[in-house]
Amino acid sequence: MQESPSEIIYQLKDVAKTRSSNGYTFGLRVPSLRIHRGEKIALIGESGCGKSTLLDMLAFILQPSDIGSFSFHGDRGSEIDIGLAWRKHKRNRLAALRKAHMGYVMQTGGLLPYLDIYDNINLSRQMLGMKDDGTVELLAKELGLTRHLKKLPDALSTGERQRVAIGRALAHQPAIVIADEPTASVDPFAAEKIMSLFIGMVEERNITVIVASHAWRHIKQLGLRRLAHHTRRSADGRLTETVVSG
Amino acid sequence: MLRQKRQTLALASKDYFHEWQISICFVLALAAVLGPMLVLFGLKFGIVGTMIEELVENPAKREIRPVGSGRYDRVWVDSLRKRDDVDFIVPRIRSIASTLSVSSERAGRILQFEVIPSSAGDPLLDPKLAAPSGLDKVVLSASAAKKLQVSSGDHIEGSLRRQYRGHKERVTLDLQVVAVAPATAFKRDGLFASVMLVEALEDFRDGHEVPALGWKGAAAVEQRHYTGFRLYARSIYDVAALQDSFERSGIEVRTRAADIENVQRMDRTLSAIYWAIALIGLGGFSLSLGASLWANVDRKRKELSVLRLVGFRSVEIVLFPVMQGMYTAIFGWALACGIYYVAAWSINLMLAPQLENEQQICRLLPAHYAIALAITVGASLLAAILAGMRAARVEPSEGLRDI
Repeated sequence: MQESPSEIIYQLKDVAKTRSSNGYTFGLRVPSLRIHRGEKIALIGESGCGKSTLLDMLAFILQPSDIGSFSFHGDRGSEIDIGLAWRKHKRNRLAALRKAHMGYVMQTGGLLPYLDIYDNINLSRQMLGMKDDGTVELLAKELGLTRHLKKLPDALSTGERQRVAIGRALAHQPAIVIADEPTASVDPFAAEKIMSLFIGMVEERNITVIVASHAWRHIKQLGLRRLAHHTRRSADGRLTETVVSG
Repeated sequence: MLRQKRQTLALASKDYFHEWQISICFVLALAAVLGPMLVLFGLKFGIVGTMIEELVENPAKREIRPVGSGRYDRVWVDSLRKRDDVDFIVPRIRSIASTLSVSSERAGRILQFEVIPSSAGDPLLDPKLAAPSGLDKVVLSASAAKKLQVSSGDHIEGSLRRQYRGHKERVTLDLQVVAVAPATAFKRDGLFASVMLVEALEDFRDGHEVPALGWKGAAAVEQRHYTGFRLYARSIYDVAALQDSFERSGIEVRTRAADIENVQRMDRTLSAIYWAIALIGLGGFSLSLGASLWANVDRKRKELSVLRLVGFRSVEIVLFPVMQGMYTAIFGWALACGIYYVAAWSINLMLAPQLENEQQICRLLPAHYAIALAITVGASLLAAILAGMRAARVEPSEGLRDI
């Protein structure tokens, strides 16, 4: 693992998100987190432990309650102060970062039902004005979707739709792909296959990947680094806090 | 950035047509409110418009004439002619003196015609045709021309008699028909003559000389008086004021002010009813449109969050429902116009027997369609922008988790 600072992609210090509802408080605290370019990170834990909260903060779609420092290095040598962007309400700036550097695989597809598979995969490329250079077809071939390209998402099985979502997340050659339980909605056998395919593809493309999952057994075999976290609950059960670091 | 806006518009359109069943519901909901409103306005506009048109186009409604006979001199008539609210005035002579026997080569018999003093600008005459002038150029009413079997340009012979110093005298004069008055303006047999000719006829009957026509008699009249006048107000709205002014100076006049007042009162009543219904309708319309667009954005929160996630900016998130709102507004408006068109056509067809030709009981001007479109588009824009802004403010992570 390289330790050169130019190879860091995320650096967080004392970032926290607290949410309260009905008298229960959930907190996620990140005293220190550093993710390097090309790293494969796994976030393993039961649902409700704050995995999604961390992923959403890393995808800039959830504003942290407290930010000590939070920097993002989409390109080598560039440093963007995410904390500052949030404080200044620069949501469009954050959206532009996502568009250029990030792919996101949601738990259930998140495909646009009115676009065919080709257009769904091509969405991020089209937004960046990238030319049709065969990338979509190539991805579709790798993901076993070639015969579905002209279909609408409705016509596909859940597993196929997840593969389309992976294709969309990779199509514009992002620096980082974030996947929130990408295989939670498919059967375990298919899940393993999809996960292996996914990790193989990001590895091949040297893309940084952060995956949240509740099943460590399989992930471990794929050589992912597991982020350490522990969850504490107050005696009355009203306060839950997860601390992540790595 | 323009590329991304174009892409947003393309996505919004694809979504709109992909969900055509729901889109049709939105369009129907809009047309169901807007269509009847157009019909209602068309009826109000058509009914009142037809009545007012009838009033404005029929000069008889603007006519003011004195009751009985009086003594009016030329100076007084000229002073009235100068008033802004007077369109046309011509003096009248004693009705007993205002007839003439007329014959033509083609008609076998001599006919008695009423002689009507007139001049250029007379609302009873066609403004595009020549007016009576001098002592020989006259205009015939349509029925008179028909009875004499003459048309514009023909010559006719007028003759009149008098009892002068104990013996009967008869003179004839050659007259040229310069025009035929429209049948709608004057339905009786009549001959429109210049004031000069009418005065000459009166003078002859009274035993005075008329040197211009070579008729002998007593000395010419020095101070002429008229027994009445025929006056047309500039518009129907000036009639009541003119009537007041005459009555204040002691001249009792007959007008159609009561008819006009009736139509105006009806217009006011119908307008009040219409606006009451229109305001309620507009309220319902705005609510229906706003609610459906708002609901649409709410329904699409997840998809909008996905767009946000892949990097669409706030303005594009707002643009998405705005584009769809525009589709609903334009299609809904078009359908409403269709509903109106069919309804108006059937109403007009049903009531055609009661109407004069060309009249329509349900009618809209192109401007009204344009105003309806502008209001619809404006209301849609407002609702869609408000809903879109709400969607853009929602944190994408929230929308994404509502799966």
